[in-house]
Amino acid sequence: MWTRTIKGRELHFYLAGINNQNFLMRDKETGTWWQQITGKAIYGPLRGAALELVLSDELTFGEWRSESSSGQVLAPVAKYTKEYDSNWEPDVAKLPVVISFPGTELKSRDVVIGLTIDGAARAYPWEVFAKQSPVLDRVSRTPLLLVLGPDGKSFRVFLARIDGREAEFFLQDDSKSDAPAGGKNWSLLDTTTASQWNFQGCATSGPAQGKCLARIPALKDYWFDWRNYHPDTTVYRR
Amino acid sequence: MSTSLPSTLQRQQRTSRWISTAFSLCAFTAIALFFIPAFVIRPFRYQAPRALFVAMALRQRAPLGTLIAALACFAFAFALWKTASRWRRSILVLTLFVVAFSAVMARLNYFEWMFHPIAGPQFLAQSDSKLDAKEMIMAVRLGDDARAYPISQMAYHHVLNDVVGGVPIAVTY
Repeated sequence: MWTRTIKGRELHFYLAGINNQNFLMRDKETGTWWQQITGKAIYGPLRGAALELVLSDELTFGEWRSESSSGQVLAPVAKYTKEYDSNWEPDVAKLPVVISFPGTELKSRDVVIGLTIDGAARAYPWEVFAKQSPVLDRVSRTPLLLVLGPDGKSFRVFLARIDGREAEFFLQDDSKSDAPAGGKNWSLLDTTTASQWNFQGCATSGPAQGKCLARIPALKDYWFDWRNYHPDTTVYRR
Repeated sequence: MSTSLPSTLQRQQRTSRWISTAFSLCAFTAIALFFIPAFVIRPFRYQAPRALFVAMALRQRAPLGTLIAALACFAFAFALWKTASRWRRSILVLTLFVVAFSAVMARLNYFEWMFHPIAGPQFLAQSDSKLDAKEMIMAVRLGDDARAYPISQMAYHHVLNDVVGGVPIAVTY
């Protein structure tokens, strides 16, 4: 997600094409071409400009609902409900790819979590991440915490620092017990303050109670797409 | 008298050849302005960086370019019409048809025929949504406003211009 204001001017985007399976959009105001994944203007009057990233989440509806009771949901457009594919993930995975990176560590349609810190990109293979979560890692000397949600599908990335002090996090054992769908028993424990943390990155009990970890923007993407736009990316190895 | 007749004919032929060339050129321009970008920017094909650059440059100029070229084509075709043979006329008509098609298509966004945009997005209160708890959504919170965009919907529409917490945002998937 991107802000759509450039130099105080509000832009309106529309779908304008495809560039190696990552879509291109143009704005109605100037006709500039923008690449969806990077938010950068690649051709036209605003070429070189970059949209500002808006922090967003990929969550299950259930997880989101459990976190905020007052939110709004985009309504389906009746005319197009037949076009909506709630099975899109496996369906898209079957589609062919037009660029590939043979000799790299992953397959084109492998799902990764991609993030960039101070210009250094890293991809976390979803399967490795999901098995190992929470993942503690370091990119550009920045300590990171990647967490799979209690639903086994949602994910978030945090800065692994409490009040500027680096911390380690572990999944609490009671998470394995009969957690309800909302995952009430699910919590992380940090080794610095021994506080309990929820999936929103906030301490629910212990000395750090009330504090929240800083969020790190991350993108769930296919390997070929991530690698195409981040040629120097490293791949997380457990 | 006997010498002026062939020279008039020659002059006419020369003019006609010149107009034919001009017609071909502007027809080629109009058709290329639409078809080259359409050919380069098509799904499930590799887009080489240089080809994409050319495609975007042409598409950017296509609305005005095809209009000028098409008007010129019609004018040249009109000039050629009287002296043209039957089969030449049919070529003229056929070419004009493709030129007009290119000029129209240069103004239309056929990607939005495949993936319709959401004109005026409507929102439901969380409790009114019929989404399954397991459905994936993209979520954003700005100020006091929290919004969820079901991925099954966004994977079809691809782009949505929205305002959340007073901030204009582009939701993309």
